Amino acid sequence: MYTPELLTIFLLLLVPLAAAVLLAVCRPHILRSIVVTAAAVVLIGASIFLAVTAWGTGISVTTASIPWIWTLLFIVELIIAAIIVGLSIKYKKPLALILALIQAGLLIFLEVSGIASAGSEITFTLNNLSLIMVLIIGIIGSLICVYALGYMKDYAAHNTNIKDRRCYFFVILFLFLSAMFGIVLSANLLMILAFWEVTTLCSFLLIGYSRTNEAVTNSFRAVWMNLIGGIAFTGALIYLALADPAADLLFLPNLLSYGNVAAITIPLALLALAGLTKAAQLPFSTWLTGAMVAPTPVSALLHSSTMVKAGVFLLIILAPLFHQTWVGIALAFVGAFTFLATSALAIAQSNAKRVLAYSTIANLGLIVACAGIGTPEAITAAILLTIFHAVAKCLLFLCVGAVEHKIGSRDIEDMDALLVRQPLLATMMVVGIAGMYLAPFGMLIAKWATVEAFLSAPLGFIFIAVLAFGSALTVFYWTKWLGKLFMRMAKPKEERQRLNFSEGFSVSVIGILTIIASAGFPLITKYVIAPFSGEAIGSGLFAIDTIALCGLMLIILLLLLAAAAAGVKSDGRIVPPYLNGRTVNSEGMFLGSLGVYKEPKTSNYYLDEYVGEKKLLKPSQIIALIIIISMFVLGILGVLL
Amino acid sequence: MNQIILMIIGAVVFLIAAPFLGGVLSGIDRKFTAKMQSRRGPPILQPFYDVAKLWHKEKVFANPVEKIFTISYLVFIALSGALLFGGFNILLIVFCLALAHTFIILAAYAANAPYSHVGAERELLSVMVAEPILILIGAGLFMVTGTFMVSETFFASGLPAVCYLPGVFVALIAVLTLKLRKSPFDISTSHHAHQELVKGVTASFAGKTLAKVEIAHWYETVIFLGLIVLFFGGYPVLGIIVALAAFFLEIVIDNVFPRVTWQMTVKSLWLITLILGVINIIVIGILSAGGML
Repeated sequence: MYTPELLTIFLLLLVPLAAAVLLAVCRPHILRSIVVTAAAVVLIGASIFLAVTAWGTGISVTTASIPWIWTLLFIVELIIAAIIVGLSIKYKKPLALILALIQAGLLIFLEVSGIASAGSEITFTLNNLSLIMVLIIGIIGSLICVYALGYMKDYAAHNTNIKDRRCYFFVILFLFLSAMFGIVLSANLLMILAFWEVTTLCSFLLIGYSRTNEAVTNSFRAVWMNLIGGIAFTGALIYLALADPAADLLFLPNLLSYGNVAAITIPLALLALAGLTKAAQLPFSTWLTGAMVAPTPVSALLHSSTMVKAGVFLLIILAPLFHQTWVGIALAFVGAFTFLATSALAIAQSNAKRVLAYSTIANLGLIVACAGIGTPEAITAAILLTIFHAVAKCLLFLCVGAVEHKIGSRDIEDMDALLVRQPLLATMMVVGIAGMYLAPFGMLIAKWATVEAFLSAPLGFIFIAVLAFGSALTVFYWTKWLGKLFMRMAKPKEERQRLNFSEGFSVSVIGILTIIASAGFPLITKYVIAPFSGEAIGSGLFAIDTIALCGLMLIILLLLLAAAAAGVKSDGRIVPPYLNGRTVNSEGMFLGSLGVYKEPKTSNYYLDEYVGEKKLLKPSQIIALIIIISMFVLGILGVLL
Repeated sequence: MNQIILMIIGAVVFLIAAPFLGGVLSGIDRKFTAKMQSRRGPPILQPFYDVAKLWHKEKVFANPVEKIFTISYLVFIALSGALLFGGFNILLIVFCLALAHTFIILAAYAANAPYSHVGAERELLSVMVAEPILILIGAGLFMVTGTFMVSETFFASGLPAVCYLPGVFVALIAVLTLKLRKSPFDISTSHHAHQELVKGVTASFAGKTLAKVEIAHWYETVIFLGLIVLFFGGYPVLGIIVALAAFFLEIVIDNVFPRVTWQMTVKSLWLITLILGVINIIVIGILSAGGML
């Protein structure tokens, strides 16, 4: 009865819970390190084991009868609602309070009315998408927890005014991982909803970790936006349960194979809204940009392996249904528009975490656009984007977090010559940035797949134009960041603080993963993604000669890198920079008119008058809202493609 | 198999012949510009003399990293051209070009001087301005010919792509003023006698480094003329004539509008791309969705 797959699933769900319980009582740093590391090792091992055993089988596994499971989930949901209600009252936040009460009311209705009568067994699906997500959560999520060990130690030392609640912090991190495994493995929407609410609560508590005014405000913004998603999700479930009670549409495989799609366009639009809020798409982007007040591991977790990825995961599994409806096209428009607008917004940011946040929202926008289009090619592109984004974005957040502790700033303008000052972190940052937008690395390959997917999609020609302009904006903000790392390299290496082992380890491993994933994209696509999405690959990007040439580019890059490492200083004379004929000393300072040497100062372009938040954010939110409203109109009309 | 050999021959011919062609074109450009400004101008082969002289100068660097960056720039520009003339995937060529430009920008950043930095920022802007139309060219050619492979587009039968993609073509010609470093004057690093701010991206390079940038620029000129020819797939002679005509048109534009700034360029070129390029793509999309293509 209990197959190895099922046991591993239990391991993935319960080990983080057990770790959370242990961490709640382990106060000393050394004990905490042991528990976190052990849990991380088990989770990484279990997720790889599960991926290997269940690879390509597309099986579902079902437990024996557990009659109390739904009651338990219901109680969990009520506890979540109670916590949010309690905190809303404590901090006097009426909006969150009202939304939490509505949500609780809907949940009670769903439970008490008995319309959603699920069997007493639990079924888990193991398709290639859920396995990819398991790997992302298991490997990247666990490494973030390991990184957090060193980071939080520094964080406590740097922020003496903030109460050290590290136990609490790690408990919630692991709860988060458990909930994410639940979302990606469950085959029943009722279960997904329960885990969905857990992630809302966890992100809320983590964003508010420091309890400063800003943190409290931002955490409540996150919670009310995600509650809207939760309400939409619950509403969709109620609708689905009432729409066709005989078909048991809350069971995902039934829903996906349901013939009468025209009858379920309204719940589809509701689920799309739930996905949009979780994935921080416009107009809900501000919760994610506000989330950066939390300690960096939280941002890394929210952006790469959890939370926002739960949003796009839901949309990707529903993609075959979106494909048949105009709701899907409208959803794709929200995503594409978000990609364009937030790519522009990222240009005006000099705060590294804000740039990363906007870049996340933009890339998720592309994933949403692909999911809304829902063709096999688009699903392939969406999954590629999800994988590469998870790895590279996690790497960048971890680098920025560690750099912030070392140089005392997260402003890109302060990252001059980081390559000399913090060689390991800066090298990994270069890998991460290259992984986000340069050929032949991961995200560019994924965007390329997106271009091809758009070209074969209905109305694809509009999406392609949006993508063309959005990509150009992307090139701008990444390159100017990359350039900063190479500027003023005459500065000496800083020995102020050594990098914690846990930070250095996680960053290096994820950096190597970024490169390996980029090099392995043809294999990943052919053996993992294509069987799931049903795309027949072999042309365009996936033609053998194109893949070979991407490989060639990667090899040339590595050779150049090796040449740089080996002999860049071998010959030639190094002279002070040229300052239009002014007297310059050996450090690059010029002789000012008062006879004093001064440092020449220049800064990057931010084009604030064109793409600043003040100028662009409001109109973008309004446009996105209008598209979402039209999505619901199309849903109510039930138009099919 | 024959096809692969042809592709490799195309790539190799480009790698060898393009610098000569690009250098001569650059020499003609300087002569022609001089005549328009009532000067005598240098001999046609002057660019080659310049590079030969630069090659033998002392090796000095503001930052030794620039050496590796400029080599990377040259290598990837040459690779993009080899891929184009070998007839490979157009999107790969576009992305490879973007990678190459990233390297020249990084070299300017690394040079550590204010003039270089301003140059890097403006060069970056120019890359950003050109990127959408390059992607739209790839998309447009695919929509018209059903393939991303340059070889198949080039030997396509029927009407040349320019008949379906006139808007995209005009937008490409417009962006070419930027890519051939003609206009705007505060981004370009052309051979006009301007000050350091204008030289921007190359202001801190000397000797061999500068020579490599110059050679890369010759390659780039041929790449962009090649892109024009691609729009005349099936009619190569006509394509080459149009490409050369476009080249001289750019020189004229350069001399007629000598004081265009980067702000004007960004706005006007994106507007042109948006109006001509995007509308062209949308029309083609609607036509093919309606089965009329």
